[in-house]
Amino acid sequence: MKKLASGLYVVVTIALMIWGFYQAVYVAPLDAMQGEISRIFYYHVPNAMLCFLFFAISLIGSIGYLSYRNKLPSRAQAADALALAGAEVGVLYCTVVLTTGPLWGRRAWGIWWTWDARLTTTLVLWLIYVSYLLMRRFAAGPQVQTLAAVLGIFGALDVPIVYMSNRWWRTQHPAPVFGGGPDSGIKDPAMLAAWEWNILAWLVWGVLILALRYRLERQHQKIADAEAQAALNA
Amino acid sequence: MSPGAILDHQFTVAAYIITWTLHLVYLVWLTFKWRAQKRLEARLNGNSR
Repeated sequence: MKKLASGLYVVVTIALMIWGFYQAVYVAPLDAMQGEISRIFYYHVPNAMLCFLFFAISLIGSIGYLSYRNKLPSRAQAADALALAGAEVGVLYCTVVLTTGPLWGRRAWGIWWTWDARLTTTLVLWLIYVSYLLMRRFAAGPQVQTLAAVLGIFGALDVPIVYMSNRWWRTQHPAPVFGGGPDSGIKDPAMLAAWEWNILAWLVWGVLILALRYRLERQHQKIADAEAQAALNA
Repeated sequence: MSPGAILDHQFTVAAYIITWTLHLVYLVWLTFKWRAQKRLEARLNGNSR
């Protein structure tokens, strides 16, 4: 039954990704000012919004690990796996944002990059979580998970700064599409539908890879425990 | 088609390809990691028996 549900979820995910692509490329009308380059919006913006969600999941996992590490070690390990999975998937989504953004900017603004508030804070967020992943990969010792959890919490503090950056400082990056005042939002229903399908598709896809990464980490923890037990018994 | 429109098209295609490539490469990496862990698990189980 569980396998059937997983298989069904994968099929729905693939269908949504294809449908989202079709909506973005073939159904949504072109932006009157920007032309075809505006279609990057349907991949760039959902990936940006969802990277916040995955970093928030990593934050929950990090707080959970610090809360449970002395009282409930098994629950702390699960929280740690969630923190790692959230950070990794968040970095993936943030990498997409930082690569598709300059492509859009080059055509829309004539420049690949500028040290604008939104761009800079997003780059800082990406660097914090890349350092988190590097620490988890290369550092050793009993305190690594604790240090990673602390870094994960500090990294997440940058998320609201990134979110508010183009509200607080009006520089190069456009004003927020959603939640940016009475004139914000997508007016064209076809464009709005394409955006909604794509955010749903990227959300469902993200949850799938997050679940895979989480299970992988849990399995890794079990193997590490078994190895430690075998070493003690030897 | 104007040169600007052609460039817009190429940049849009590049953005879509990069997005899909990054996500699919990550999925492939997860699959390889999964298989490596399964092998390690099987070896450990074999040793414990």
